Amino acid sequence: MEQFILLMNVKASTFLKSVTDLRLQNILKNLSSLFIFGGVAVGVFLLSRAATGYLLTQAHIGLFLFHRFLSMLLYVFFITVNLGNMIVCYATLYKSDEVTFLMGLPVPPHTIFAVKFIDNFFYSSSTLLLLGLALLLGYGSYFDMSAWFYFFTFAAVLLPFMLTAGVIAVIVLMLLIRIASRVGIRWLLAGIMIVYLSAIYLYFSAVNPVNLVQEVMKHYPDVNAYFGYLDPPFVHYLPNHWVSEFLYWTVRGEPARATWHLVTLFCILVTLLLSAWMVARAYYYKSWMSASEGRSPGSGRPWFFQVRFMEFGREGVLPRPADAFLRRDFWGFFREPSQWLHLLLMFVLLCVFLVSMSSLELRLTQPFLQTVSYLVVFLFDGFLIASISLRFVFPALSLEGDAFWCVRSAPVNLRKLYWQKFIASFLLIVTTAEILSVASTSMLRDSPFLILVGSLCTAFVALGLTSLNLGAGAYFATFREKNPIRIASSQGASLTFLGGMVYLATVVAILVVPLNRYFEILIIRGTTAPGWLLIPIIAVGILTGVVFAGSAGIGLATLRRDY
Amino acid sequence: MNPTVQISHVTKKFGPFVAVDDLDLSIGKGEFFGFLGPNGAGKTTTIKMITGLYAPTSGTCLINGHDVHRDPLPAKRSIGYVPDQPFLYEKLTGREFLYFVCGLFNMPAAHAKEKIEEYTDVFEIGDFIDRRAEEYSQGMRQRVVLSAALIHDPGVLIIDEPLVGLDPRSARLVKDTLKERTTKGLTVFMSTHLLEIVEELCDRIAIIKQGRIIYEESQTGSRRSNGELETMFLELTK
Repeated sequence: MEQFILLMNVKASTFLKSVTDLRLQNILKNLSSLFIFGGVAVGVFLLSRAATGYLLTQAHIGLFLFHRFLSMLLYVFFITVNLGNMIVCYATLYKSDEVTFLMGLPVPPHTIFAVKFIDNFFYSSSTLLLLGLALLLGYGSYFDMSAWFYFFTFAAVLLPFMLTAGVIAVIVLMLLIRIASRVGIRWLLAGIMIVYLSAIYLYFSAVNPVNLVQEVMKHYPDVNAYFGYLDPPFVHYLPNHWVSEFLYWTVRGEPARATWHLVTLFCILVTLLLSAWMVARAYYYKSWMSASEGRSPGSGRPWFFQVRFMEFGREGVLPRPADAFLRRDFWGFFREPSQWLHLLLMFVLLCVFLVSMSSLELRLTQPFLQTVSYLVVFLFDGFLIASISLRFVFPALSLEGDAFWCVRSAPVNLRKLYWQKFIASFLLIVTTAEILSVASTSMLRDSPFLILVGSLCTAFVALGLTSLNLGAGAYFATFREKNPIRIASSQGASLTFLGGMVYLATVVAILVVPLNRYFEILIIRGTTAPGWLLIPIIAVGILTGVVFAGSAGIGLATLRRDY
Repeated sequence: MNPTVQISHVTKKFGPFVAVDDLDLSIGKGEFFGFLGPNGAGKTTTIKMITGLYAPTSGTCLINGHDVHRDPLPAKRSIGYVPDQPFLYEKLTGREFLYFVCGLFNMPAAHAKEKIEEYTDVFEIGDFIDRRAEEYSQGMRQRVVLSAALIHDPGVLIIDEPLVGLDPRSARLVKDTLKERTTKGLTVFMSTHLLEIVEELCDRIAIIKQGRIIYEESQTGSRRSNGELETMFLELTK
């Protein structure tokens, strides 16, 4: 226990030193973080409050159905926290120099586990915790709850809920690493991905939001007459259900029934923490040894990784330094399972998004609703582009890593290296984005003009976000970090993502009024008025130009820094 | 004769801290130059300025007449560099890393293949060259990095602690190779703490302390019998 307290003290003092560093650069960084995180939190708060108000007072869906939707949202939140913890945990618990150092000292492995677990949880979940709090405040303020409600719900409900997701992640991970030493890491990671996708699919198949709405609406407007007996039985055993039930009974003013769900959540958390402790005592050291041994069965190069034309030692089409970079980045990417598996996962999500879109009725007869649906689709495309850029473009410079000395001391023009990275990233991002844009816009209206507008705006957004992520990635480069996932979830990455969201929101703000006018003319008068969209497109182009030039300037200036 | 490495009035500051203070050095072609100093004296900072990894606060570093910071590409074409920590791209094999370096130095694939074969033999790296760097020991990395530094036939080899992690046989191999290359015109700028290596290999030395040169031999082979260098070093740096 003493060692645990000592290690936690070191962690706490390191953290405090980093946030109380009074150098100008650090103060500016912290202030800008505060500004952007604070801005997003306020945005989420307002959105949460408005959405709650809209669903309950305008759409009249009733408290019960509202909390069933909330439960589904919490399920996705739970899976996100769980998956995020599992991905980051692998780097924190198994691939960390600090753990290697501590393992060489007379510190019990389960103590190291406990320290690193807490470290990992707050590292990988802090942004989600903030968003959860903002959502809670928005929700609670609609119901005019007391200050005690927020404090209690955050500390005793939201935090344990997220901690439950984190503990499950780490228990599963320890067991999986043991299994990986027998079956190979690639197959194991592929298995995890299939299990998670299946879990999401099965959950939504079972609770089916469309069926739920239809069943509940049979009792409209007295929707609370519908009771939970139609819930699939397994839903009652999920933490998201306990949290939504706690909130449901609390806002209905029946704390006794709310408490029951809280106690369930708390008991499960304690059980899971104890289980994690026991699993760590039995398996953490063994699983750490397995992970440290490097090659595991099945980690040889499978047939689909044998890309002969990209092998070193062949003359390429590109000039030589560029060709060498391309081959290095190609193999670096496809030999790192966390890279290609994430890409695959995002590709699957894109397909799921397009398939889901195709089943929705998006051709609406009211101009304003058509504008909203057009912009929501555009925003969602933008959000996906921002996520892909953050995950794959932001770490591009950091991944030069400790071996960057080799490039910096070679006769290579670093500006060319930067632009090569930019062009390669942009081509990939813009191709994906355009496929997404053309496919989704054509589902809204069979209008070549609207498809062209969507396509142009998407190209601008892809350009802006690629440049923003590459430039900011260079500015916040962490050459010591080898794990791209940790790079893409660092504080600098979160700031960049939020910056990207602000850029996207500005683009939408530029488009909203002219687009609404365009749809009014199109739907009510039956004629087209392309002129309404010309000026906003030019404005989006100028905004993108500013983002592009600013980011590139910062990125290129950063490359001249001492290494 | 023009010096191959010419460092003139070079200063490097990190905020208020002066790491290197008005440094002047000249090293001729084919010279094996030893750069010594206690920990934190400014050796690695100097090396990073010569190789273009740090920009000097003032002064110039010329390699074969080219300023490393104003005219970096021609200067860097003449340099081979071995850092104190031989980090590699973990996911590439040693052979792929060497091909990558050849690409950076614009060497055609056929020529690169020839040179890789040559250095596979010279540094005896054939047993592990096709394994990924993440599986290498420190000594393996050091030998691959040495191969990478020499593969483009540089005029100047800048080397920071060359024998770290090498077993006695590999260390002998490296020492013999470097000495033999200097007879063919390679200039070696070596920083090390191993005084016996300096006594064995170096033609000329300089000692740096707190960023300033406190001792520099004016001509080749003027000092050193057994143990004399150690006594001198300890006396000067105390």
